[in-house]
Amino acid sequence: MEIRLADQSFAADRELAQFSSRLDGEGAVVSFVGIARDRSTDGEKVEQLILEAHPRLTLRSMEEIGQAALDRFPISRLRIVHRVGSLLPGEPIVFVAAASAHRRAAFEAADYMMDRLKTDALFWKREDTDSGSRWIEPREDDHVARQRWSEMCPE
Amino acid sequence: MKVIFFGKLRDALGEESDLVAEQGETVAQLRRRLADLHPAASRDLLNPGVRACVDDEIVTEDFIVGDRESVEFLPPLSGG
Repeated sequence: MEIRLADQSFAADRELAQFSSRLDGEGAVVSFVGIARDRSTDGEKVEQLILEAHPRLTLRSMEEIGQAALDRFPISRLRIVHRVGSLLPGEPIVFVAAASAHRRAAFEAADYMMDRLKTDALFWKREDTDSGSRWIEPREDDHVARQRWSEMCPE
Repeated sequence: MKVIFFGKLRDALGEESDLVAEQGETVAQLRRRLADLHPAASRDLLNPGVRACVDDEIVTEDFIVGDRESVEFLPPLSGG
């Protein structure tokens, strides 16, 4: 598992290139990048996004998610990179990648990791707009998405 | 006893607060004590989505913190 917090901007293409350079015969790599939006849910222009983390528990929550993905899907490797600190719209917030022999597991593992990260990763996000700052809570969609992994395949 | 706040709780309460520990005090009691000290933040403090954390473990409301050096309060998380 390659899991880390990044307090500076990272480049998704470099993460993917690094991840893929260490493949050991896997035929499939799937990756996802989450990008800071320039509009808040109210449609306001976002000036910056602040991501706060716990000194130890945030990384631990990410590692738990990574381990759960390894346990659940036949993937050989994964990478999770998540920003902390202040971000501008357009900057990457999160990168996940999974490698497996065949594509189905890699797609599912990446999808699973993102759904888990959206609801279970220990971050606090604040959107700063012209009219003020707002701390974010997960969207209903995120909880629904997280739920489907509980219903899908019985362990 | 040090009380440490994250996320939205920091806005009203700052990052850290030093309180005199009270013997046998539970998380729930500490929350109410903090809410009394900071009425403007009481709704955020008493939000059931706020969790307490001691030694990097989430603890329940009846957990005794009176003998601890520090307690952290984590507001509802935003997710990744």
